[in-house]
Parts: sequence; structure tokens; C-alpha cells
Amino acid sequence: MYAIITISIVAIIVLFLGAIQKKTPLLPIIFVGLPVAFIINLLGWNQSIHYYNEMYIADNFSIAFNAVLIFTTLLVFIFAPVYYKPVKRPLEDIYALILFALIGALTMTGFGNILMLFVGIETMSLSLYILAGSKKFDPNSNEAAMKYFLTGSFASGFLLFGIALIYGACGSMNLETIKEFVVAHHNNIPAMLNIGLLLVAIGMTFKIGAAPFHFWAPDVYEGSPTLITTFMATVGKVAAIAAFFRLMSSSFSDMESSWVVTLTIFAIATILIGNLSAFYQDNVKRMFAYSGIAHAGYMLIAIIALKQQAAGVLLLYSISYTIATITAFAVLILVREETGTFSINAFKGLAKHNPTEAFAMTIAMLSLAGIPPLVGFAAKYNLFIAAIEQGHLPLVIVAIVGSMISVYYYIRPVVAMYFNLPSATSAIDSSSNYKKQIFLAAFLMIVLGLIPGVIINLI
Amino acid sequence: MSELVTRNYSLVTEYMELISILLLVFPLLGFLAIGLFQKQMNRSFSGILASSVIFINLILAAILFNFVSSSNQTVETQLFDWIKFGDISIPMSLTVDRLSALMMLIVNGVGLLIHIYSIGYMKEDEGVNRFFAYMNLFVFFMLTLVLSSNYLMLFIGWEGVGLSSYLLIGFWFKDHVNNDAAKKAFIMNRIGDLGFLLGIFLLYSTFKTLSISEIAAKASLMPSGDLTLTAITLCLFIGAMGKSAQIPLFTWLPDAMAGPTPVSALIHAATMVTAGIYLIARSSVLFVLSPVTMNIILVIGAATAIVGGIIAIYQNDIKKVLAYSTVSQLGFMFMALGLGSFSGAMFHLTTHAFFKALLFLSAGSVIHALGNEQDIRKMGGLRKKIPFTFALFIIGTIAISGIPPFAGFFSKELILSAAYEHGTGMGILATAISLLTTLYMFRLLFVVFYKPESKEIKANHHIHESPKVMLYPMAILAILSVVAGFVQMPKLFSETQGFDTFLSPVFAKASGLATVSGQALSVQTEWLTLIIPISIIFVLIFLSYKRFVNNKELAVQTGIQHVFANKFYFDEIYDFFLVKPLAFISNVFRGLLDQTIINGFVNAVGNGTLFVGKRLRRLQTGNVGLYLIFMVFSIIAILFFNIIL
Repeated sequence: MYAIITISIVAIIVLFLGAIQKKTPLLPIIFVGLPVAFIINLLGWNQSIHYYNEMYIADNFSIAFNAVLIFTTLLVFIFAPVYYKPVKRPLEDIYALILFALIGALTMTGFGNILMLFVGIETMSLSLYILAGSKKFDPNSNEAAMKYFLTGSFASGFLLFGIALIYGACGSMNLETIKEFVVAHHNNIPAMLNIGLLLVAIGMTFKIGAAPFHFWAPDVYEGSPTLITTFMATVGKVAAIAAFFRLMSSSFSDMESSWVVTLTIFAIATILIGNLSAFYQDNVKRMFAYSGIAHAGYMLIAIIALKQQAAGVLLLYSISYTIATITAFAVLILVREETGTFSINAFKGLAKHNPTEAFAMTIAMLSLAGIPPLVGFAAKYNLFIAAIEQGHLPLVIVAIVGSMISVYYYIRPVVAMYFNLPSATSAIDSSSNYKKQIFLAAFLMIVLGLIPGVIINLI
Repeated sequence: MSELVTRNYSLVTEYMELISILLLVFPLLGFLAIGLFQKQMNRSFSGILASSVIFINLILAAILFNFVSSSNQTVETQLFDWIKFGDISIPMSLTVDRLSALMMLIVNGVGLLIHIYSIGYMKEDEGVNRFFAYMNLFVFFMLTLVLSSNYLMLFIGWEGVGLSSYLLIGFWFKDHVNNDAAKKAFIMNRIGDLGFLLGIFLLYSTFKTLSISEIAAKASLMPSGDLTLTAITLCLFIGAMGKSAQIPLFTWLPDAMAGPTPVSALIHAATMVTAGIYLIARSSVLFVLSPVTMNIILVIGAATAIVGGIIAIYQNDIKKVLAYSTVSQLGFMFMALGLGSFSGAMFHLTTHAFFKALLFLSAGSVIHALGNEQDIRKMGGLRKKIPFTFALFIIGTIAISGIPPFAGFFSKELILSAAYEHGTGMGILATAISLLTTLYMFRLLFVVFYKPESKEIKANHHIHESPKVMLYPMAILAILSVVAGFVQMPKLFSETQGFDTFLSPVFAKASGLATVSGQALSVQTEWLTLIIPISIIFVLIFLSYKRFVNNKELAVQTGIQHVFANKFYFDEIYDFFLVKPLAFISNVFRGLLDQTIINGFVNAVGNGTLFVGKRLRRLQTGNVGLYLIFMVFSIIAILFFNIIL
């Protein structure tokens, strides 16, 4: 809770400084504020404090995910100076909006009341709508914002309708009370609750960008400024999936029969559509959008198999996905900076002049594809094991087939980087900040792949 | 008071555990430091760094050795759980008992000397940093092999030394011959490794564990001659055959001489090739319970010793002679294992490490002096040109020939007495084998150092003694070759059986299980077994002096000698009966099975996936209205299927 307050204060200070045209202290304040928030967040470990009539719960689940979200945001901000180098104005609005979106995300992981979930989602989404369009003079950016807003508010409508129906059935929006209601009416769940739950699930599925409500994702991811895409693909997705998991595990785990089949179909469709559509993409940014869709499908498996150690596995998966994605986007930003295109051809011969970046990109791609010994493998492996133990073998088979397909498109940038040396473009000038961040990420991907148990047993 | 003692005691154990981990950490760090910064690192620095790493290791090994030999306990160190799923659990853990303590002393001690020697030997080489990185990597894996407390980790070390060996044989990779030699070593070893791996699988399915000590405990309850045990030990022995160059998997070792000479000394004489002997000594309980395997080991060891020895007599490359000598000596050690004399094998392994490393380093010194000349026909009369090397070489020759009081005498004596205890016939055979050593070694000595100078030597005015950095390590090895034998005197002379006693706790269980204990020899027989061989040795030395020193050219080979000189045509036989048929079958399979069936299937799957992907992409039109319609239809469908149905 206090982490959220800290970040809110930082965001307001940033806005204020921007208003009085102070440019230099903006990022330093964020670089101090976010680590402070990170530490404050961790201080609540093992205490499980409930705030404001159960509105917000700071248990280990939310603290662990919040740590991931804050850390990821920090990584995104590290790229901000390089990404926005050509921009002369203070940019306080963009920074503040990213922070507000983060606040929404933090709220989503720790909600104790479905209304709070909605507030969190809307806080995040509204910030993201604007951020998607933050390249004001770029038509693609405008289009992305518009599409995101239209489809997003559409989904929010269903979500809110679902919440209303749940309230109508249970008489409460508190997660605990709903759970008691579900347990008490185990044998005759009212249709209203069923429909409400499905509508909420549809809304959440939209937010994590899973099929069949994924259509917005490729267009929005591609059109948005790349830094914002990075933020959406990592923080936005992880927060939504954590919220979805929290909702299902704390209230609806006892009425599995009414949602497991639907979500299984969603997951299968998501994995197949995501991976297959990524297949033909020559635009790497768009390819990552589809890859993000596919990974949303894998993360859905954690919800479907939520009875085992799935929370820990989901945490590991989120970390693995986040680190790899952010590394990949970092390199993508660098490449785009130099070549002016997101095409796969831009990666040709990268290894010749930029071995570090090429290596980090390779690690990220292999981790996303789930190649041992990287963390992506450990995450997928544990996820599949958890699902098999719950008897979801067909789903796991599809997921494995999807993984196999994904190797093809994840390897393509690697092949381009290493096997087209003669056509290498000139060296990309990367500042030391980038290198450190890239190194850190590659290091984490390797180390966590060796000791996944540490993360899984955390929550 | 007793509490204090206990606490002190556990503290000491903890230190020892830490040391055993550090023993692995240092060479690994050395490898990483030199390997990662080989482009930046000063060429003279890498050798010093690599040597210091091994020096620290030697001190650590000495501390551990002192601890296990004085306290008579084993140090068990748990590192981490490596594999854990279902009911399989394989922890990474280290065991330091007297056997592994001895081995790591040899590895680090001989390793250090050879590292220092290499500083001089490799000085002019461009890839010296790469060389030392590989050398440290080798030490790391060799120690992993020696220290591991389960068979799987041992296998990792086993493969690791194989890898280092491959990298170092092919060190001068610009020459195609070296690459071929490296590949040959790798492939030959792979055959053995497959056997080892099968043995590990069998071990796991039989004992449900891979821990060496647990397996020994469980196996000791099984009846002697148990079929599974026989199968397991045979598989392990096949592994040992590959690594330790026994018939039929020995042909890689002579070719491995393509690597730099220090590598031949360290890896292909003193340490790695003895891993097979270590493996069998480690698993002594299993082997003692499988008399069939023991007999096979005995036969193969003897055959290898004879074949290797005979081929060695007819080689004209100084390193090849030593390589076949190694093959023969390894066969001799396997004979000892087959006879059940584990400590005899280990003792000969130890002394052999000293004098064979010495001989290789001396050979390296000769090669160095002559500017990379290895053909002994182009040598001669070198005793005056490079007197130090000559002196050291002669010490090595005496030691390996088994002339008292040098080390080789004592270790051979231990094996010979085991052979005589087994039966007089076996004893005579073993004596004959050990006499072969005298023949080929003194031939080498005389041809290289005594024979009148060849015209190449006369023409070569650059012959120079090697630098001190090479000579000092050789001198230390020479001292060890002289004195190392005294730790274990023959029973005739002394009651103290130092080496035997030292290793007896390790082999206690095995010797308790041994089915046949040989009869103790009478004093007369013992004297005879001592005196007769020694007198024959002197006769042989005299004969070969006559034969080789005065003869200007090495005699032209005739008849059967041709077969010996051509290594019994082993390579040609393998090529005809194995390689060619295998290549033919591979070609058929590649054309039919792989290209047509498998490749066709895989391509069909790939094309199908691509096709679906292409179609699927069209759904994403970019029209937001269409997206919303999709969403609505989806929601309707979901609600319909969930609520109505």
C-alpha cells in the first residue's frame, strides 16, 4: 500500500516539475522513487496486511508480483533517456502516465474487492490509452490509441457488467464473501453468478491479450511508441494475469467446472493463434506482439491449474517472460534507432559489430522459446508439470506443440544476426546504460534458469 | 572437554569440506579467467596464472591428503541437488577418501610440474593462452572425476577430461592430421563412454541410487557371480577400455601424440588415461563380485600389455614409442586389477605417473632441442649435446624398466608377486611382459643418445639444452621416480607395506569379499622372482646396446617385424571391418530414411504450419469495427455454450 502511495507522490512531483519546466531532475527523482517504493513494498513480506475494509491486501502474492512490476518499470525508465533523446521537451506527462499505469497495475495484484480490481484496471488502461497515442504526430500511434481505447472500453463494459451480476448473485464484491457464497451454494450456483463470472473472465482475457479477444494487441503493440509497447507487453500483461489469477484462486476455485473448459479453450486458441501468426511476421515488433499473445496463453495454463504451486510457477513465468521481453525490446529499440526499421533484415549481421547486444538478444529469444538451461525453459517446464498433475494433458500437448512452433520465429532474428555477417550494417552506438541493463537481464535469465526453485517456493 | 573436542572436530571437517570445494573452484576460475580474456591477456602471464592456480590446488590437496591419512575418515561434501524429480535424486557431492586424495595429489602434483614445464615449452606458440585455459579446464574435470561421490558426476568429469583431451590433441588445429587425431580420440572414447553410460543406467535400475558408497554397501550383500553385477562391471570396463586405451579401443592413444608434448605427458600418460583404472578401483566391490569380468580384465590387460610392448619396439617416432609404452603399462595395471591387486594397480599408476611424465617431458626436451624433430632415426649421440636431458631420460628409463632401487621396480614387484600368487604361469607371463619394457626403452635410449650422430644431427648447429623452467620440473619428477618406490618395499625386505596399508581402508570391503585368496609365496620363490627378472634385464640391456648403438641405420624390417611395425594393422582392420561398412550403412540410411522419409515428413509439417500461419494472419485486418464484431460473436458463443448447453 505504501509503495503505491510513494509512487503516487513521485508521479505528482514529476508532473509538478514538468509544469514549471524543470527537465533535469525528472528521471533522477524516478530513479530514486522507484527503488524506494520497491523496498517499501518488500518490507511488508510475510505480514499479509489488509487495508481499508479488505479493499487492498498486501500478502506475499501481491508483494512478489508488485516487486516484479516495479522492477520492470524501472528497467523501462532506464531506456527512456535513450529512446526520447531527440525529444526536447520535459516529457513529464509521459513519465507520470507510466507511473500512474504502474499504480493501477499494483492495485490489480492486491485487490481484495472486485471493485478495486476494476479501479486498478481502469487506472492502468486509461493511462495506457493515452500513452499509446503519445507520439502525437504519428498516425500509427494515434490509430493505436484509438483502437485500444475503443476495444478496451468495450471490454471494460463487459467486465463491469460481470461485476454487477456477481454482486447481484452474492450480495458482495468482497473476495472472501464471494468465496463463502460459492462454497455454500456449491451444488446450485445461480446462473447469474455463472454469467457474471464468464463476463468478468472475458474482460480479463481481453486485458491479458488472449484469444479470442486478442485482436487489439498486434495493432496496438505495433503502433505504439516502442518504449510504451515494452511497458504494455510486460507490466500491463503481468499485472492483468496476476489479477486474473488472484480473482480465480481466491474466489472461484470451488466452481471450477463452470470456467475451466472455457479457459482451456481460450488457452489452446491463444497458444495456436499467437504462435502461428508470429510465423510469417517480418516485422519484429509485430512478431513480439504475437509472441506476447502466445505467452498470455501459457500463463492462462497457470490459472487453469491453479491448485498446485501455480502461484509460484506463474511468478517465475512472469519474471522469465518480462526479462526476456524487455531485453528483446531493448535490442529492438537500438536496432531501430540505427536502421530506422523494425524489419527482420535490420538484424542482419548484428553480431559482427555488436556482439554483446546480439548475445543478449539470442539469450532472450532462446529463453522465450523455452530452451534449457535458460529461465524460460524452467518456467515452461514447471508450468506444464503443474498442469499435467491437474490432469490437463491435452492442453499441455498443445502448449508443447506451440512451443515447438515458436522456436522457428524466435530463431529467425538469431539467424539473421549471426549468419549474415557480410551484409552487416554499421555498428550501433549503444550507451553504457544499455549494456549494463542488457547484461543484468542476460545474467538473470541464465541464473534463474539454474535455480528456478527459489522463485517457485517463494509464494 | 569432550564437547570442545567435538566442536573442534566438526570445525576441522567443515574446513576440509570447504577445501574440497575450493579444489574445484580454482582451476575453473583459472580456465574462465584465461579463456575469457585470452585475447587481452599477456602471453607470458597466462602460464604463470595457470601454474599458480594449480600450485594453490596442490597445497589444498596436500592439506586434504594429510587430513584423510592421519584421521582415517572421509570428507563428504554436499554441493547441491542436481537432478530431482519423481523418485530420482542425484545430488552433486564430493568424497575425499584415501583413494581420491592420492589421485588428486598426483593430478595436482604432476599437473603443476607440467604446467611449469609448459611455460617454457609453449613460449613461442601463438595460442599459449588458449593452451593454458584448456590445461586448467582439464585439471578441473579430472578433479571432478576423482572427487565425485556418485557415478553420474564421475561421468561428467569423465566426459570433461575427454573434451579437454580432444581440444588439446587438436590444439594445432591448422594441421588437418591433428584434427583427425583429435576426432579419432573422441570417437573411440565415445564407444567406451556408451558402455559406461549403459553401466550407469544398469546401476541405477539395480540399486536405485548412483552414490558410489551406497552402491558398494548394497552390492556387498549380493552373491558373487551375480549376472547383473557381471553385466554392470562389463559395461564399466568397456568405459575404462576406451579411456585407458585397452584392446580393442587403444588405437587413439598413439595418434593423440599429435598434441603438444606436455599434453601427452599430463593427459595421455600420467592422469587421464589412468581414469579407467581409477574407475575400476573405485568400484572394487562390484568387480570383486564378478569373477568373469575380472578374468576378462586380466586377459585384455595382458593382451594389451604384450601388443603395446611389441609395437613399441618397432616404432621410430620418439613419442609413439612412449605412447605404446603407455598402452603397455596401462595393460599391466589392468592385469593387476584383474588379479585383484587394486593397490598394486594404484601403486603402479602412481609411480608410472612420475616416470612416464618424466620420459615424455624429456622427449619434449629432445624435440625442443632439435627444433620439432621426432624421428629417432634422425637423432643419435645426443648425450653430449644435451647432457641434462640425457641424465633425466636415463633415470626415467631405469625407473620404468624396473631396475632397483628406482620406483618402477617396487610397483612392478607388487604386481608380479600378485601374479605369482595367482599361479606360476601367470607370474612368468607378467615377468615377460615387464621385460618388454626394458627392450623398447633401452632401444630408445641407445638410439637417441648413444648411437653415432646421424647426418641430420651433424648438420644441425642449433641444438641447445632446454631452459631451466623446463629442466627443473623434470628434475623433480626424476627425484620422485627414484624415491617414490620406497613407500612400499617388497615383503622380503621390510615389514612396512606403506602404500598397501594406506589404501587398505578403501579396498577393505573388496578384499573381504574376494573369493580366492592366493597362496603366500615361499621365501625362495620370492627371491627367484626378484633375481631372475633383474638378471634378464641386464642381459637385455647388453644385447640391445650391441644391437642398436653400433648399428648405423635401424635394420630393415622383415616378415613378422613388418606386422609389428605396422601396429598389427589394427587401424587397417578397423577401417575395413568397421568404418567402411558403417559408412555404407550410414549412406543408405541418410538417403532413404533421413532424406526421403524423415525429412519429407518434417518438411510437410513445416510447410503445413507455414500455410496455416499465412491464412491466420489474414484475420488481422486492421479494421477495428471488425474486431468488435469478432468479440461480440465470441462472447455470444461463449455464453451460449456455457449457459444454454
